[in-house]
Amino acid sequence: MKKATLFVSALAVGALVLSGCAADDSSESTATTTTNNNSSSTTETAVETVSMLEAVQAAGTVRCGTRDALPGFAVLDESGEHVGFDSDFCRVIAAAVLGDASAVDMVDLETADRFTALQNGSIDVLVRNTTWTATRDGSEAATFLQPTFYDGQGMMVASDSGYSSINQMNGAVVCVAKGTTTEGNAALESSRLGLGWEVRAFDEVDLILEAFLAGQCDGWSSDVSQLTGLRSAYPDGAAALTILPEVFSKEPLGPAVLDGDTHWAQVVNWAILATIQAEEFGITSANVDSIRSSTTDVGILRFLGADVPTSDGSAVLDPGLGLPTDFAYQVVKQVGNYGEIFARHLSPLGLERGVNSLWTDGGLMYAPPYR
Amino acid sequence: MSSLPSAPAKVPIWRDVRVLRWLFQIAVLAVVGIIIYWIWGNYQTNIERSSVQTDLRFLDNPASFTIPGNDFDQSSPVRAAFVQGFLNTIQVALVGIFFATILGTIIGIARLSKNLVVKTIAAAYVEVIRNLPLLLLLTFMNLAVVLQTFPRIEDAWKPLDLFVISNRGLAIPWFEGSAGQLSLLVLAGIVLAVIVVRLERARADKVGRPSRALLLGTLALAIVPVVGWITLGYTWTLPFVDGRGTSGGLRLDPSFFALIVALVVYTSSHIAEIVRGSILAVPRGQGEAADALALSNSQKMRIIILPQAFRVAMPALGNQYLNLIKNSSLGATISYFELTQIAQITVGNGSPAVPAFTLTLLVYLAISLFTSLFVNYFNRRLALVER
Repeated sequence: MKKATLFVSALAVGALVLSGCAADDSSESTATTTTNNNSSSTTETAVETVSMLEAVQAAGTVRCGTRDALPGFAVLDESGEHVGFDSDFCRVIAAAVLGDASAVDMVDLETADRFTALQNGSIDVLVRNTTWTATRDGSEAATFLQPTFYDGQGMMVASDSGYSSINQMNGAVVCVAKGTTTEGNAALESSRLGLGWEVRAFDEVDLILEAFLAGQCDGWSSDVSQLTGLRSAYPDGAAALTILPEVFSKEPLGPAVLDGDTHWAQVVNWAILATIQAEEFGITSANVDSIRSSTTDVGILRFLGADVPTSDGSAVLDPGLGLPTDFAYQVVKQVGNYGEIFARHLSPLGLERGVNSLWTDGGLMYAPPYR
Repeated sequence: MSSLPSAPAKVPIWRDVRVLRWLFQIAVLAVVGIIIYWIWGNYQTNIERSSVQTDLRFLDNPASFTIPGNDFDQSSPVRAAFVQGFLNTIQVALVGIFFATILGTIIGIARLSKNLVVKTIAAAYVEVIRNLPLLLLLTFMNLAVVLQTFPRIEDAWKPLDLFVISNRGLAIPWFEGSAGQLSLLVLAGIVLAVIVVRLERARADKVGRPSRALLLGTLALAIVPVVGWITLGYTWTLPFVDGRGTSGGLRLDPSFFALIVALVVYTSSHIAEIVRGSILAVPRGQGEAADALALSNSQKMRIIILPQAFRVAMPALGNQYLNLIKNSSLGATISYFELTQIAQITVGNGSPAVPAFTLTLLVYLAISLFTSLFVNYFNRRLALVER
């Protein structure tokens, strides 16, 4: 009897394996073909039917994919409101498209669900601390837009460890959190510099914290923005930890929309770019009204959608994006410029502007001309 | 006038119990089949829409992560990472089963002791440990014992300068030389031990003296590797603190240590109950007969009671071994690089989730089925032959 049961179960496993392989083969070919169909059909529908822009304007609200527990980027406050850098960029998009920064439907997503939500159309735009990579552009049906934050993986050590550069961390134990490419980046950097790190990967940040406090780890590696947040909440005080100067991966975080809707992509892109342009012009939410009424700078007048004097009277610039002509004014007035948003949410964590400065200050934030 | 039918009337087909049974079973099968088909169809549709890989090609991609305590590097293929994870799981399973069986047997016997203190301690151990969730026990072992009790690497304990104990691992003296030659020597030792034990048993049976098979077997097992190791001119290496870690000797990962301790403690509490029950299941007359033959208590246990008790215990022990193997997957939470940890990390670093986890599932299934096969084989060997 036992023999028979065992034999049957062995058979069943064999069948499972075989069917698994067979199904894999067939689904592979169907997957590739249907992807092609899929992308072409979405392009067609985008050409034929209305853009997401009209859909959003008709609905009167922007459904923005976000999260609820990353300090500085998106957290819930006591009243249940989303507060943070990413949350504000959701509001920037709503202010630009609908003229009302509060017309946002914040949809909290798990990391693993974020692209699925975009693909099945349950959100209009994803602003969730997501790194722009080629694979995500190519295989996740996402189109990434102007990055709002240039992040990178760094290394945090105890201030009394004596390390001042990752080059000194020979044979060190480096602790990381599982679930993303952090561990791969650390391994790559270790082999590039020949440092022989032992990389330990834990399930949760709490477990890393315990291991770090007990001296099991020499370094704690993650995105610099996250390390900064973790340092600000460290039990022994933020001064007990130092983030080393080296950044060894590129993590441009930006909004993403579904492939195949160029119109909507441009609209979201220009909403983000407007915050950068406003900072470059020195326009803030506080002075936008007075600048609008008093300036004679044609560039600023055009940008804010004000009357620009011409040889035969005056005109308002409409670049034809499908946005209201005063969208930049609404964005700055209701949410603020890039520098204000950064100062409001990320400076309190102790993050420096760094590469996220304006291009005029040697950073990467650069908006194409608005004309 | 009553007319009895000459033959029993034929039951109409829709009321025939046999037919109805068949129909019902077919209906159940059909429902199950439809549900599976529906789920599979949904999976296929969604996979196609998101253009995610579904085959096993990812196994040939570079893994892009490293495994501590191993020369596996990030350019090795994902396949090699899975193999290493498999080996680590097997390692934990074998070491864990070995110690859990010994500890469980001792505690099981202690529970039946006439000494009140021993008996109470054993009972308390079983009742406390058996009623705790394993994940909690493991987290406790890792946080409280390994991280907090063991010193930092700077102040590592060095008992006799033979060991280096810190919260970065437990380093012990180890053979220098190739692992292959070492395992060959150990294998030779095992073969010799088996031969010695058989001869000694036969001799003891013939002379009618108590056999010393256990002692001689252990000696044989130890002598071959030691002599071989000396003749081949190997030395051994002692561990020492080297920068932020240790060099020399053999280093046991701190998470390996925590995982083994948690698994052994947890599983032994269950094994203790099985051993206790099995000893009680051996008929009283057996023990009384042993007493009548003037066997010592230890001889009574070793020769008369335990062999019969293990015959009863074997199937239940097999279950505990299976549990231990499956529970070793909890090592992933404390960064022990066994199969589950490898699966999680490789998915985090770009391998497709569904095929990677399906593969992991099948490997666990294979390990478990193989273990059952092994346990069943032993069970048949041990079982009373009834005629």
